[in-house]
Amino acid sequence: MSPPHGGRRRCWPLVLLVAATGVARAADEYSFDASQYEKKPYEFGGYVQLEQDAFTLNRSGALYKLGYYGEPQRSDLDQTLGILELTGKLRHGIASFDFRTYSSAQTNELASDHTNLLYEGAFSLRPNAGVTLEAGKRALSWGKGYAWNPIGFVQRPKDPNDPQLAREGYVMADGDFIRNPGGALQTLALTPVVVPVSSRVNGDFGSTGHANPAFKLYALYRDTDLDFAWQGKGSRPARFGFDFAHNLKTNFEVHGEWARILQFPKLVTDASGHASTEVLNATSYLLGLRYLTQGNATCIAELYHNGAGYSRSESDSFYRLVDAAFAQAPAPSMLLQRALALGDGPYARPFAGRNYAYFRVQQQDALGIVYFQPALFALANLDDGSFQVTPELDYTGFKNLELRFRVYMLHGGELTDFGEKQNTRKVELYARLYF
Amino acid sequence: MRRLSWLLLCLVALPAGAANLDAAKILQQVDRNLEPESYESYRKLIDIQPDGTQKSYVLWTIKKGRDKILALFLEPASDKGRVTLRIGDNMWLYVPDVGKPIRITSLQSVTGSIFNNADILRIDYASEYDVESVKEQPGQYVLSLKAKTDDVAYDKLTMTVDRKDLLPVTIECYAASGLLLKTLHFSNVKDFGGGIKRPAQLETDSPLYKGYKSVMLWSGLKKASYPDEAFTLNYLPRVQELRK
Repeated sequence: MSPPHGGRRRCWPLVLLVAATGVARAADEYSFDASQYEKKPYEFGGYVQLEQDAFTLNRSGALYKLGYYGEPQRSDLDQTLGILELTGKLRHGIASFDFRTYSSAQTNELASDHTNLLYEGAFSLRPNAGVTLEAGKRALSWGKGYAWNPIGFVQRPKDPNDPQLAREGYVMADGDFIRNPGGALQTLALTPVVVPVSSRVNGDFGSTGHANPAFKLYALYRDTDLDFAWQGKGSRPARFGFDFAHNLKTNFEVHGEWARILQFPKLVTDASGHASTEVLNATSYLLGLRYLTQGNATCIAELYHNGAGYSRSESDSFYRLVDAAFAQAPAPSMLLQRALALGDGPYARPFAGRNYAYFRVQQQDALGIVYFQPALFALANLDDGSFQVTPELDYTGFKNLELRFRVYMLHGGELTDFGEKQNTRKVELYARLYF
Repeated sequence: MRRLSWLLLCLVALPAGAANLDAAKILQQVDRNLEPESYESYRKLIDIQPDGTQKSYVLWTIKKGRDKILALFLEPASDKGRVTLRIGDNMWLYVPDVGKPIRITSLQSVTGSIFNNADILRIDYASEYDVESVKEQPGQYVLSLKAKTDDVAYDKLTMTVDRKDLLPVTIECYAASGLLLKTLHFSNVKDFGGGIKRPAQLETDSPLYKGYKSVMLWSGLKKASYPDEAFTLNYLPRVQELRK
């Protein structure tokens, strides 16, 4: 990988951020008075993040060719990214309003850009502990999977590289009705949702003019979490599914999800760029486990079958189309236009394939250093054997500061999922300061 | 002869059985003296690193009945809004960014300190442990406790109890292998009002974390009863609304 341009200069914001946090030193006296922690009618918080990335680009990859079409061709790219996320809450009686905003600004050798999004902003009413009614923009998170959620019907998909990141929600009206019947059925909770889609709201959810009702029914039966989820036909095809999570032993958890999508329209192309839409029923499922070793290492493993994804041969056709289209470049051609159009669609989405595996191992308090957590995770496309391995170092020992370093390493040959991505490597360092 | 042997056996066994009964009562009384069965409290967790650096957490905790307890993180900002819930042997962690609870284990530490989840979400000792034996020494009882199931965080505890107040002084926590995992030191007995008088400070050290120390402080401990619905996964994003 080429050395980052101006890397030293770009790291100074990180150094400043670390220095700004200060370090608390011990005092031998301990005192604690809870009166200063009384609930306030308002709350405000968030984080600011400074990140430096260095990409090694994959100039032979199909997604590089599509993404960098018309741009100066490069083999590496340095990028500086700043993120500000704000959260807040106002309370009055049984009512409250809460919000979460996301703003980012990034600059690299090719361009500068910024984004401002309202991730969440919703009014809530809680007449009693068993009933909550909400309206506004809300990010739901359905499903027990760590990296993927087949039953995440009314939410944006996770990034398996960062499953714990907050995501933008949809405008909706939703409720929560909780009961504790007692006995083996310890909890029963119903979450009904309506996600309207019009030209003004939720435009990326699906076709306009639909209310999109959905619900999730949760039960804690004996020691097992169970969910049944349903979404009616509307902007998207109807679908239903279930999930479960259970501890086989105190340090060994298993979970799973299963979903069925009815009459799903699937865009497919051949290597000549002739696209068509097939309508089919798709079944997706996920099986996973979480295991804590005696040495305090947490292992997470998941297998994911994406019934709506592309098979090896379907993906091959798309990659061959891009290869053929760019073999004729720079001369514009009909083939190139078709490839670029398909590059904006489902073929270029992350994890568009059929079968994937995820594995993560993280060691808490490694090398005897409290708050130091190295990790390694891998993602693999089981159909073509391509994969990504990512070592990670994370330290949270400074008050309200997280430092994280990652190296994403992608491996795969031609016509494979990870072999056709935009980059072959990414080095990432960030400092995140919470307030 | 056989009858005589049986009679002798009964005479020997009877005091031992009575002693075990007393020991179980001692443990139950220790539980009730530490906290009411249903309560709320504020706690501060302080981790002290070998170089003296500190990191602290503030939690609001509510417990209901024998096996339901949850803790809401109020500080630091990086952890604010996190909630850990325990129902019996089941534990979950809710992180606001993630937006859904995940199952966690009692041996993990959501804070990354010497205190693990079982320490932070502790239910009655008598619910998790049987008394194997009790010894008396000047001013103290020494209880040997054995975990009732494999799901309990520590296989054995050696609990030294102040005989007059029936409050723990130290607790040694052992793994099934016999390895000493940590020692808890209770101190600063304080009157919280409402008939609750108990240690307001707990220090722990561990041979597995040489040079590190963790401290837990209590404030605002009082009897309280919250609805069952609060102790459910769906309610975790809204737990902070329960605070007065």
